[in-house]
Amino acid sequence: MVARWIWVRKAMAKEVSTDLGSENPSQAADPAPVQAIRNDRLTKTIDHFKREWQIYLMLVPTIIWFIVFLYKPMYGLQIAFKDYSIFKGVANSPWVGFEHFTTLFTNDQFLRAVRNTIEISALNLIFGFPAPIILALMFNEILHASYKRTAQTIVYLPHFISSVIIAGIVITAFSPSAGIVNTVMGWLGLDPIYFLTQPEWFRPIFVGTGIWQEAGFGSIVFLAAIAGVNPSLYESAVVDGANRWQMMWRITIPSIMPTILIMLIIRIGNIMEVSFELVILLYQPSTYSAADVVNTWVYRQGLQSGQYDLAAAAGLFNAVVAFVLVMVANTLSRKLSRTSLW
Amino acid sequence: MMKWNLYSRGDKFFAIAVAVLIGMFTAATLYPFIYIAAVSFSSGFAAAAGKVVLTPIDMTIEAYRFILSDPQFWVSYRNTFIYTIGGTLMSMAFIIPGAYALSRPQLKGRRFFNLFIAFTMWFNAGLIPFFLNMRDLNLLDSMFGIILAFAVNAFNIILLRNFFESIPRSFEEAARMDGANDFQVLWKVFVPLSKPAIATITLFCIVARWNGFFWAMVLLQSEEKIPLQVFLRHTIAKLSDTEEFAMNVLDAAYGPETVTGAIIVCSIIPVLIVYPFIQKYFEKGILLGGVKE
Amino acid sequence: MAGVTLSKIVKSYGSLEVVHGIDLDVQEREFVVLVGPSGCGKSTTLRMIAGLEEITAGELSIDGRYVNRVAPKDRDVAMVFQNYALYPHLNVAENMAFGLRIRKTPKAEIKKTIAETAEILGLTEYLHRRPADLSGGQRQRVAMGRAIVRHPKVFLFDEPLSNLDAKLRTQMRAEIKRLHNRLNATSIYVTHDQVEAMTLADRIVVMNDGIIEQVGAPMELFNNPANTFVAGFLGSPPMNQIKGQITENGAKVGGAEIKVDGMVGNHIGRDVIVGIRPEHTTLSASDDTSVLPISLDLVEPLGSEALLHAHHGDDSMVFKAETNGNIAHLSGVSEVHVPSSLVKIFDAENGRALDLGA
Repeated sequence: MVARWIWVRKAMAKEVSTDLGSENPSQAADPAPVQAIRNDRLTKTIDHFKREWQIYLMLVPTIIWFIVFLYKPMYGLQIAFKDYSIFKGVANSPWVGFEHFTTLFTNDQFLRAVRNTIEISALNLIFGFPAPIILALMFNEILHASYKRTAQTIVYLPHFISSVIIAGIVITAFSPSAGIVNTVMGWLGLDPIYFLTQPEWFRPIFVGTGIWQEAGFGSIVFLAAIAGVNPSLYESAVVDGANRWQMMWRITIPSIMPTILIMLIIRIGNIMEVSFELVILLYQPSTYSAADVVNTWVYRQGLQSGQYDLAAAAGLFNAVVAFVLVMVANTLSRKLSRTSLW
Repeated sequence: MMKWNLYSRGDKFFAIAVAVLIGMFTAATLYPFIYIAAVSFSSGFAAAAGKVVLTPIDMTIEAYRFILSDPQFWVSYRNTFIYTIGGTLMSMAFIIPGAYALSRPQLKGRRFFNLFIAFTMWFNAGLIPFFLNMRDLNLLDSMFGIILAFAVNAFNIILLRNFFESIPRSFEEAARMDGANDFQVLWKVFVPLSKPAIATITLFCIVARWNGFFWAMVLLQSEEKIPLQVFLRHTIAKLSDTEEFAMNVLDAAYGPETVTGAIIVCSIIPVLIVYPFIQKYFEKGILLGGVKE
Repeated sequence: MAGVTLSKIVKSYGSLEVVHGIDLDVQEREFVVLVGPSGCGKSTTLRMIAGLEEITAGELSIDGRYVNRVAPKDRDVAMVFQNYALYPHLNVAENMAFGLRIRKTPKAEIKKTIAETAEILGLTEYLHRRPADLSGGQRQRVAMGRAIVRHPKVFLFDEPLSNLDAKLRTQMRAEIKRLHNRLNATSIYVTHDQVEAMTLADRIVVMNDGIIEQVGAPMELFNNPANTFVAGFLGSPPMNQIKGQITENGAKVGGAEIKVDGMVGNHIGRDVIVGIRPEHTTLSASDDTSVLPISLDLVEPLGSEALLHAHHGDDSMVFKAETNGNIAHLSGVSEVHVPSSLVKIFDAENGRALDLGA
């Protein structure tokens, strides 16, 4: 690559001299041979780089960044097939083939993590997906502009709060003695529960927190879709005697159906992506059975226990499944958005 | 939108019911913040006994005094500012020129480069190779490492590239005829024309940096380098280990809950201050990217 | 001497050739208008002169200098864009100063130039406004101002008036003409509007399908179109083109015979197109006219004159007639009179004007 670069530089230097020559009137008077050179492809390419070198210069840092921080780790993924040793490094560790994958698929904890990932995502989908749609439909019915504005401002807010704070609030609110949840249960005469230590409570709390944090922000996309509905549809419905409830079901929802479907497909494509940061912050050994997902398992095995190769294999498995799902989802949504145009 | 007076009785009832439901959801969104603030201003005893519901009980600022007198709190607060400002500037330094180059039709191999970048949205190597790579690059426990390694992401570049592509060609051409080179076209024409898009992306970067936790926790060991979120996590974890904490604060007017509350309030305040200004941008911003690849 | 010379200029996009080797010599101080239907290659040609499009083959010289591979900024040309391309974040003065600042012109000089140019264009009181706060005509002026301040050798205009409404367009057209007379700079102007071309140009270049159909002074093109395309393109309404055959004295059109001046005798029996301008016919006969019977379809009053839509055989045609403030007398028209000196004859096969040696 270096040699090639030098060659281009040389060619460019040569070009400069012929370029100067072409301003010479005697040469301009005899265009035929000059033209033959000018229209040659190589000359054009060199011309192009001479003229446009700045955009390539602008692109270089970004490309290098992607290579160093995102593509180089992909090269490092080979440790999933190696007996990785810190001292030997990625390249020199011996190959072991699919040994780690065999280990993984006989490892109960890993299999449990795969199951948990899918189950938590499914719950998120069932309860978390409709919430922003319902919210958007409701916002659309609010006439009072400043009431609507204020409510929107508030419900978007949790999206901008870090998971550490979210977790801090959850931990405090669900604490057995001090938390508000148990206080309210006390008023109702119920015995206190130590929610965060009990596996059966992890998922409701996790999914509920997700809805609390993201439903408002997620409604923006659907509100925009609703804003795009042709207002004359509503006007003609009013003239036809429809009420607001009917208009919502007969006009608004069918009109935003393409958006709903595309968002749903994207969500399904991301089913392997559970926000594991929040899981790490909320789970504890007693709730692993319900809470441990692939990425948290990878984190514990790799970064805490130092089994880098096995953890990398688990990560690779996760990434490949996610990639396939995302690709399928992309294809589907592309087809859908094209056909829904007509 | 329809006028209220033209609503039928049924529609009026429906509208009111919806307004009430929205009000309830909004209150439910807001309540945890109010609750945590009330806890932070309550006495340790009242909080531990679960007496706090809406307003502080036995109002005190002891929890704040405790947390604000911890030098580590201020160190991590300062670090978060460094990561947020440094990281955002670093992001812009990569993203703006990169997106400009990718948006130019004359760029040879444009399709390839776009795919090269978009591919990382669909596939990434995962935690372990990324971590080992950081170690190989000698960027463990490095503030610069944190700033650099999370500077760019494909989504932001594509977002800005799409915006640049929507700027009419003639703006670039006019500037070029006026003698501007690519850097001048970008800096004097495209950047000012793209203020909303750049503001949105800046905002995404700031929020991500301010809230960044996981990698800071994994990559940073030195106490003097950790950001606020990691400090927060350490403190909350330490406080939940009540036995250890109880020794120190046996007769104090604060407790684990009120101190947790106080830290949360302290770290949310900057977000709340900036939030109203950024709100008008992110609504636009989220739609800017749309679903387009 | 700041002429522009195009020699065998070709533009292709991949395998698609859109400009097929055109030759054109624009003299110094000349105002040349490239006109033609959309997609004829006129804008592409202009953009090649500007340096915004690469020239596939051929040679371009500005002011005697070969500039095929010179960057736009070094060609010493300025361009007024169709959408003006005014920077919304800069005010009028800053917009006009943009190019000068990039070129690091001294501040005092920039200030002076801007003030002078604003004076010429009547923009002095708007210098601190943003483009969004200006009317269409004012934006148009700023766009021209931005070109003028650079004192370029050549001005290029890319359909600069097409975004204005009809009334403003007429006004700005006059202003551009006035400005050109004052600045006396070489100008190349692209439009699809033949009225703009006629009123502004020293010379008109009619383009079609990537070739030049005809080049000449406006009235020359109007009076002596080289082919049916030019004949049909210039003039409003366009020249009537009627199928016919050459006879001894002129041309046979349906049942009528139109007398034509010149030596038609060489072409007897040839299939031709007879071209008659709508404004050249009269309703009453005189010595050198011949009668063309018509069936009137519709009378469109325009005010002082009216358009008569009619047909003769299968050919439909339009004529102009005086109204005298009343169109009642036009409804009974059944024939028009065609003066023999003003009839044009084109070859039916290739559309070229026949040389009658008149």
